[in-house]
Amino acid sequence: MTVSSFNHVCLSGIKTVVPEHFIDIDNEIQYFDNNPKKLARQKKMIGYGRRYITDENTTVTDMAVYAAKKLLEEMQINRSGIESVIFVNQSPDYPEPCDACIAHDKLGLNEECACFSVSLGCSGYVYALWLAHSLIASKAVRNCLILAGDVSTRKIEQTNRKFAPVFGDACSASFLQYTNEEKTASFVLGTRGKGWNKIVMPFGGIRIPHGKDTVSMRVADAAGNEWNGRSAIMKGEDVFNFTMDVAPALLNDTMKAANWRADDVDLFAIHQANKQIVENIVSKAGIPPEKAPVDVFSKYANNSTNSVVTVVCDQTKPLKNVVLCAFGIGLSWGGAALDLSGMYNGGISTYVSPKDKPTREQQIQYWAKYFKGEEE
Amino acid sequence: MTNEEFLTEMQDVLQTEEDLSMDTVLDGLDEWDSLSVMATMAFLEKSFGVKTTMKDYKDIKTIGDIAKKAGL
Repeated sequence: MTVSSFNHVCLSGIKTVVPEHFIDIDNEIQYFDNNPKKLARQKKMIGYGRRYITDENTTVTDMAVYAAKKLLEEMQINRSGIESVIFVNQSPDYPEPCDACIAHDKLGLNEECACFSVSLGCSGYVYALWLAHSLIASKAVRNCLILAGDVSTRKIEQTNRKFAPVFGDACSASFLQYTNEEKTASFVLGTRGKGWNKIVMPFGGIRIPHGKDTVSMRVADAAGNEWNGRSAIMKGEDVFNFTMDVAPALLNDTMKAANWRADDVDLFAIHQANKQIVENIVSKAGIPPEKAPVDVFSKYANNSTNSVVTVVCDQTKPLKNVVLCAFGIGLSWGGAALDLSGMYNGGISTYVSPKDKPTREQQIQYWAKYFKGEEE
Repeated sequence: MTNEEFLTEMQDVLQTEEDLSMDTVLDGLDEWDSLSVMATMAFLEKSFGVKTTMKDYKDIKTIGDIAKKAGL
């Protein structure tokens, strides 16, 4: 566990976007043997509700750039003054280069700007915040734009009921800058690398690149869920055990790092893995349930990297002391205690996909020409 | 916690309408799924301070076996 604190850094604005298209669990009764009781039981236990799903031509960069443009417009911040961009996600547009550089182009930022991506998921937003605080507090940069989010629904087919109903897509932009106010932010971070294979997409990297063998692979588990060579898989029970082991302690350690008691905190934004998990964390940590929303899962599902951001953006009241508690792929965790007084909350709005987006076929044709030297 | 209280709690944990007894065979319940296993894990830890893992549930066949884990 690593604990650190920073002063003079202000998270001054935040905005989340979700895709236009969504699925309500009530319209999926066919996956519950057409039995309303089964559906009701799982809604009650897991909190299934609505999840937003990107179309096949929309990526995490498309949505996060859209969120950033809106946020900076609404905050009236001049894009040319942005000195760093950290993009955190687990579903990059390309194997290379990193999404932060693509976003730099799409946002038309100045060249005097450091851009890099962080490959983490559910815990990742806290890591990006930690980095941004470190960069700004050390005066390496005056400000930082964090882009975060995931399009997890692209990693699995909706007929896979172990994975599909849990995840929804969302992306966000956050703007941080130096402030003369003392403003303290405290962080607690940790990693359990031995669990790296508990949430994993095994194929398509350099270790096992896609070939005919992986592309044609189809495997069914005991419950009949189908997995193909492009699937990501999560060992739910193991991740549940890991979560119950680290997340309640993380909440309390983060409060301790900030010298706060639960009374001092306005909001505990806990990664919305699912309702059952969040409720168990809250109960084990002994924090007041009314300050730790679980309904965000039912409204937006598990948004992976963006989950804790979605919780904050979903709040309508002004916030001061906020604890973020995020955990997942890695396996990895991060807690943050933040003073959000004065922060602009841009809420959650809909990402509108441009009409002229190239199709998969058009993009492949383009890259074929590019390889040939017919495109620059 | 008495055995009766335990059985009532287990009904809620599993979200089942079946009448439970210590002899109820878990595999005979429609509701005994991975979700219920996780709910049981959380219940044992929260109410009895007993940590279980997935492996333990291979040997847990009845409601009574869960009660034994709880130390009842």
